[in-house]
Amino acid sequence: MNPTQLDEVVVTATRTPRTMGNLAIPVSIVGSKTLYQSGSLRLNDILSEQTGLMITDNFGKGIQMQGLSSEYTLILLDGEPLIGRTGGVLDLSRITIRNIRKIEIIKGPSSSLYGSEAMGGVINIITDRAGQNKLDGSLRYARFSTADGSINFSKKFNQADLQFSSNYNRSEGYSLKPFALQKTVEPFWKSVQQLSYNQILSSHWKAGAGIRFNNTHIDNSISVQNLGNTILSKGFEKNGEFNLTPYVQYQVDQKIKSVLRGYVTGFNAVQKLEVKDAYGSYNDAFKQLFARLEQQTDIHPSKFSTLTLGGGLIKEEVSSNRYDSLSTVRKNQIAYIFAQHEQLISDKLTIIGGARFDANKAYASVMSPKLSLQYKIDSYWSFNLSYGRGFKAPDFRQLYLNFTNLAAGAYSVFGTEVAVPEIKRMSTAGLLEQTTDMYSRLSALKPETSGGLNIGFKYQHSNHINANLNLFRNDLSNMIVTDIIAYKKSGGQVYSYFNLKSALTQGAELNVSKQLSKKIHIQSGYQYLFTADKEVLNAIKNGMVYQRNQTTNLVTRMKISDYGGLSFRSRHSANLKAYYENAKGFFATSRLIYRGRWGTTDLDGNGLINRSDEYAKGYLQLNCSAGIQLNSNWKFMTGVDNIFNYKDIYNLPGNPGRVGYLDIQFNF
Amino acid sequence: MKKSNVIALVLLSTVFFYACTKDENTSGTNTTLTQNVVKDLMADTIVGLSNGQPVGAGKFTFYSLESNAIVASTDSNSTKWDLAFRGTTILTNAGTSGPGAGGAFIYNGTFDELKTVPVDSVIKKDNYPTSYAITTGSNKGWYVYDGVNNLITPIPGRVLVIKTAKGNYAKVEIINYYKGGTTPAPSAADDIKLKTQRFYTFRYVHQAKGTASFQ
Repeated sequence: MNPTQLDEVVVTATRTPRTMGNLAIPVSIVGSKTLYQSGSLRLNDILSEQTGLMITDNFGKGIQMQGLSSEYTLILLDGEPLIGRTGGVLDLSRITIRNIRKIEIIKGPSSSLYGSEAMGGVINIITDRAGQNKLDGSLRYARFSTADGSINFSKKFNQADLQFSSNYNRSEGYSLKPFALQKTVEPFWKSVQQLSYNQILSSHWKAGAGIRFNNTHIDNSISVQNLGNTILSKGFEKNGEFNLTPYVQYQVDQKIKSVLRGYVTGFNAVQKLEVKDAYGSYNDAFKQLFARLEQQTDIHPSKFSTLTLGGGLIKEEVSSNRYDSLSTVRKNQIAYIFAQHEQLISDKLTIIGGARFDANKAYASVMSPKLSLQYKIDSYWSFNLSYGRGFKAPDFRQLYLNFTNLAAGAYSVFGTEVAVPEIKRMSTAGLLEQTTDMYSRLSALKPETSGGLNIGFKYQHSNHINANLNLFRNDLSNMIVTDIIAYKKSGGQVYSYFNLKSALTQGAELNVSKQLSKKIHIQSGYQYLFTADKEVLNAIKNGMVYQRNQTTNLVTRMKISDYGGLSFRSRHSANLKAYYENAKGFFATSRLIYRGRWGTTDLDGNGLINRSDEYAKGYLQLNCSAGIQLNSNWKFMTGVDNIFNYKDIYNLPGNPGRVGYLDIQFNF
Repeated sequence: MKKSNVIALVLLSTVFFYACTKDENTSGTNTTLTQNVVKDLMADTIVGLSNGQPVGAGKFTFYSLESNAIVASTDSNSTKWDLAFRGTTILTNAGTSGPGAGGAFIYNGTFDELKTVPVDSVIKKDNYPTSYAITTGSNKGWYVYDGVNNLITPIPGRVLVIKTAKGNYAKVEIINYYKGGTTPAPSAADDIKLKTQRFYTFRYVHQAKGTASFQ
């Protein structure tokens, strides 16, 4: 956070505009200047430089926040949730930040306002608003024949505004392994088009709509090593996404404002592979549709309080040949209401309480309360406390998946809604050896839930120095895992989903920023993170867990201090960023990002991360950029990411090493 | 194949030394049973691929814990052997596997901690094809299979308590499943993972006097 941003307005934290200095929960903002000067192109680029956020590289670029994985973080685009997750991951590289005004990052559960997925936190990407008439374009060229082009247009009329933006991004991809038959990242292109229009209808009424199309195309030439035989296949992967966002706003008077918002979004993914030799072709299709109608009313009964009331209806549809045939459409409907009250008790104390109730057909209903307070100790120090509940609805895969892998031991995975009929069918057909105890425990899935506590201390001294410390703890329960429900006569296993696991993540995040001089500003952050599977933690405490020493092969009981927690979590991560800017329009940045070692694979057979060889090595990455604004029309920038050229073929396939780029922006 | 009968192998010297001192401290006697280490015992090593699946010759390797030696497969229907190895499957000499008075169960704990066979132990016998005394399958018996990296790893804290064909007790700890006692790196080529697997390294202590004590 930049100290000058203390009075910057945040909308995501309470669903109403609030200044940064007056928030009771951990929030950070990345503004347009930082976005531009950091030379970021896609959302994952800039998020990877923020304290406490990790980018994961499985099913696309995912985000890890407060130690919670991608499926537990809600990604909003102008306040509306993005859909189209694969394996729980919403690929952040789908999102261009060329037309982004700012990014708001809210940590800790916010399901009381946003519903499902807002367990670890919420990231709201806020696109450019038409404040002025402008037409600008930008071009970027980088290593691996990466090219990126953008055009942004906005026009302000008397009672209306219009904006359009378009982005195209392509790359040849790269190979980290020389002589490999398959590139680490295959050639791809991505495009985004966005159009929005707002119209003031009267002194009370305002309406508008936005539409956005996002397309991705990836070449696929996959070579599978099947026990000595190399099977080559050629194909492609294609994702299409659209969003439609109409709204009507009614401002009764200064005290009451009401907004009715519609939201329709669709995600369509196709993967086709033509396999050489006689293996045939592979065809994977996934379609998702999400429609929502939501009403929110903000009431200010007095200047000391704000009441926010709302409710909505969601209709979701999914079809995929992963579940069954594409023609079978799975549907769910959700109805929800929420309320939040903010009260200034005194000059020093603000309390916010809220709750949301989600009811639906496919799984159990859920209530998400939240309570937070801010206490201003003096003009420098303030204290925040917040507790909230978050949830994540079981996804369609966990409910409806009907998958049999013929290649690997002929195992099957069935969603809970289809498992019983499938087992009965297999039993009748004489395919089953036996069912397990878990089969009798199959029941309707409950949402995964969490309780998150955040305790924060902030220090702010004019605009020169700003520090904040946030302590967090998240307790996750009813986490959904697979377990064996039956064995086939062929020896294969049959899996389904259960609410079985519980886990915890806790830690501390520290951010300090200081304006060293008029021209130089530095920021630094650190996160300490401890994560654990609670069942494992208990087993270790009870002396039931063992480990094998790498060199002596000696087996010993594991201690808590040996336990590396959940995999893919770094205990330590930090950053140090310096920004220089002079009055002549020249800027330079240097951002040093550290990610401590993280657990990857169990190697000593206990299924846990404990041995030093079970971790990926920690690393330092230095990104630098410099640029100049020549006049009001031209801006030039150049930069190098990953100057140390750090690479880890196995654990960081998404990191190609050192990348240089040139960037031009022009204003018509 | 290479096997050795070394009391204090470099690999395990610290373990054994530790065990000795502990024995003296707790029991007050200096009599200790010999710990044997068997290295690179071939267990139907892979000879080729059939329909893309790795295959061995399909033969068990029979082993006598009593005499610490391989037993010829022509003696498979005798009480000369105590354990038979083929891939990840380990047979004991009883039930459907042989004419002996053998059997086994899996003890959870460390090898050194297991000083006496617990009184309430239930020794199981092989009952092909339904079940084996040493349960087969990943994460059920002595090993875990990592399907992503295609590696077999012995589960730490699993000790096989064996009843030999003669009815004596032995405790066995499987240490490694790969040639030279070293598991290939997860990033190693499939070819290496296939060629070096099915070579057992294990250690055992055998009580020839027919008691349930390993001290």
